[in-house]
Amino acid sequence: MSKIVEISPTTRHEGHSKLVLKVDDAGIIERGDWLSITPVRGVEKLAINKTMDQVPKIASRVCGICPIAHTLAGIECMEGSIRCEIPRDAKLLRIILQCANRLHSIALHNILILPDFYLPGTEQKINPFSPQEPVRTVAKRIQRIREIGQTIGEIAGGEAVHPSNPRVGGMYKPCTKQAVSKMYDLAKEGLVLAHEQMDLMIAIINNMRKRDWVEVGGKQVPLPKTLGYHSQGVMAAHPLYSSSNLDANPGWDPKRWTDVRPWDWYMGEGEVSLADPSYPIGGTSPVGTKVNPQMEACTGVPLYDGAPVEVGPRARLVTFKNFDMKGTWGQHTARQLEYTDCLYAMINALDEYNPSGRVLADPIPQGDGSLGWAANEAPRGTDVHLAKVKDGRVLYYEMLVPTTWNFPTCSRALTGAPWQVAEMVMRGYDPCVSCATHMIVIDEDKRVIAEKLIQ
Amino acid sequence: MKCTHMLYPEIVVAGCGNPLFGDDGFGPAVVEELSRLNLPDTIKAVDAGLGGPHFIFTLLDPRLTRKLIIIDVADFGGQPGELARFRVEDLPAGSYRDAHSWDLTEPLHRLKDEMDITIIGCQPKRVTAPEFELGLTEEVQSAIPRAVREVLSLIGVDYGTALKNLRKEERQY
Repeated sequence: MSKIVEISPTTRHEGHSKLVLKVDDAGIIERGDWLSITPVRGVEKLAINKTMDQVPKIASRVCGICPIAHTLAGIECMEGSIRCEIPRDAKLLRIILQCANRLHSIALHNILILPDFYLPGTEQKINPFSPQEPVRTVAKRIQRIREIGQTIGEIAGGEAVHPSNPRVGGMYKPCTKQAVSKMYDLAKEGLVLAHEQMDLMIAIINNMRKRDWVEVGGKQVPLPKTLGYHSQGVMAAHPLYSSSNLDANPGWDPKRWTDVRPWDWYMGEGEVSLADPSYPIGGTSPVGTKVNPQMEACTGVPLYDGAPVEVGPRARLVTFKNFDMKGTWGQHTARQLEYTDCLYAMINALDEYNPSGRVLADPIPQGDGSLGWAANEAPRGTDVHLAKVKDGRVLYYEMLVPTTWNFPTCSRALTGAPWQVAEMVMRGYDPCVSCATHMIVIDEDKRVIAEKLIQ
Repeated sequence: MKCTHMLYPEIVVAGCGNPLFGDDGFGPAVVEELSRLNLPDTIKAVDAGLGGPHFIFTLLDPRLTRKLIIIDVADFGGQPGELARFRVEDLPAGSYRDAHSWDLTEPLHRLKDEMDITIIGCQPKRVTAPEFELGLTEEVQSAIPRAVREVLSLIGVDYGTALKNLRKEERQY
């Protein structure tokens, strides 16, 4: 007799989502649904009739963690629609920006997943905030890698969080020789740290692969060797940066993309019949809680060739580098392998970059309403933006963000795992669910009474 | 370019919030106004947007940064557009749970002994989340110059002149 267990909200990733799991008597997942519960709507509508320069700025505000990927994909789909080729030096600055974003994102993900892993040779789980060695040194190294990524991003992108330098047609400003040498110095320092961090993380992941069980909420839970395996395909547009309709051999094809509604995909109404109050961070939802993934899911389900696909580092390595590891450990390993790739690509781009070169196309066409798209390989997967621009105004705009591709794939990958490790499978995708806004609520005496999350 | 300045300045002003959610864009709007002003090089106004918790703290250097000013909307039961100043002690200490509850308050509590932290909150009228909507309400828009003045007084920039004379494009040399 199947039971339903619900983990809501899921933790240690960006955004709000939940897991609804149908499990057998042994607690093994028969069917899992992972869905976004943050409704964020209307960006497509908001974009209509705005100028092609405004829309990428709007896109950058959709997510707090990938503003760079959304800005670049937003700009490049506009350029795809107006058929604008940008100067090589502008492209190089964008590549540097892309790599800087990926670098600090991988480092952040390290912090988010480390509590799932054991310190090799011990039975101790890793708390990245621990003041004890050797974890302290690792945490400091992660912090430094993030500083390096963000500082390079700030120099090339013009601003620390939401980059202001990229624009339709290229970049607003070139980087000076001085800026280039600053970025170069930081990248060289980062390369050494990234090698060390990659080696350590792979050792930690390999240690985990050998384990037969993991402790969750005070219980020993068996760890299947096939954790996170699925039989869906992978999708990646480019090994490092991006592909668009302007490429001679585009890495993505809008004709192969279809979208289905959540109610055609997710489970229907049900009721939680299994609960575990000892599950970390407040336990699972109590027995009797009504669940209805079909109606609660806030995202459509994008399909490529009629099926869900995995996007992300593993998808990139499988597509372009014959990587053959599968499942959750494959995803984690692939992500670590991208650490050094970011820095080598950045250093190569800095070598090639000419500070006296042009960074803005001239003239910039205003568009005739034809479809343009750009598939940016964001840290967590292919971020596709599509647009139609006519006379400088946006007629149509659509965003297919990485985690939206991964929701249905990860849901399938949950099957066969004990429900207690479902979150570990989910974290392998480095999910970034749409952002909500925070608001501080304070009473009349101006004392805070609660911190309220407005969803 | 930015690289000619210090990347870790002494004073950081971070405007937080999402301009796609109506009045939630107050923080970034104040920073936009500040960035038009001629401010000393030791001050950096950052449009933290949605990335405050993830990005700002790696851009502070406790050895150099001595003051952090955060600008955001805050519901303290006031009139829309009303400003209030908070200390970190006014905020409840959060705990590390996920990337979202990894909010501003916990790192602020950790940082408060290392630097001077002030939060300027503006009572919003309309936060449209989850629907996207551009633009601040009139009341909150009118609070921008007051917030700028508040920031200037906190960072000790007072030239005894109207704000518009501090603007780069309008300044009389």
